[in-house]
Amino acid sequence: MKTGSGLRRKLALGYAVFGGLIALKIVEYFVGTRIHSGGWAYLAILAIVSSWLVLYFFMHIYQLRSGRKDHD
Amino acid sequence: MISVSREARHRLSINRVGLWLFFLSDSFFFGALLVTRYYLQGVHRPSDLNQTLGFAISAILLLSSLTAYSAETAIARGEERLFRRNIVFTSVLGVLFMAGVGLEWSEGFRHFPPSQGFGTVFFALTGFHAFHVFTGLIALALLLFPGQKGRFTPDNYWGVEGIVKYWHFVDVVWLFIFPTLYLVS
Repeated sequence: MKTGSGLRRKLALGYAVFGGLIALKIVEYFVGTRIHSGGWAYLAILAIVSSWLVLYFFMHIYQLRSGRKDHD
Repeated sequence: MISVSREARHRLSINRVGLWLFFLSDSFFFGALLVTRYYLQGVHRPSDLNQTLGFAISAILLLSSLTAYSAETAIARGEERLFRRNIVFTSVLGVLFMAGVGLEWSEGFRHFPPSQGFGTVFFALTGFHAFHVFTGLIALALLLFPGQKGRFTPDNYWGVEGIVKYWHFVDVVWLFIFPTLYLVS
């Protein structure tokens, strides 16, 4: 995993996750500014999904269980 | 040699658990502040709140998480120049986020001062979060000095991992603060 292709693959994953987070944020903004009744439920779901993406892909929360050395 | 590796792995596991416990305890703190918003104000939101600015600084913070992730990925593979560059990008984005919060505060003092219910919650939440961003910026700046001397290697980069994880944690907290303050109504 210490090759150039491995680095590119990991960086590409980061960009993909970031794209997903921005997309969720745009949906969240749309829900928050356009839906005035019951929008809080959608906002809560979007916040939980977004935070899970960060916790899993950026913070590597799975390391706590697997005990892996690096973040592959 | 095997026992040294095992010792290092064990130490890394302990470090990680300790850091996640800190995140958990800090989450309770922010959780209490978030609950306070609903307890004091329900879902009331002032019409003067600048939602576009809130969205913009959210995007900046998310982008800083990407650069922080790239920095950690780079150092894990011995790419020190890429690591340093991404730490600098992350710091700049963090400063931009702080500037955005400062702008929002200047508007907030006019429209919903801290003496009002929503103002109390708004300034407490954004203030404590900005303090976390500020401490993160200090930590990122510290990373650059030992990083320049080649201190972090693919086999030993816990210092980077811990600080980058802290930065992501601050991002996760904002993912809940933004809809709570700016969008729920």
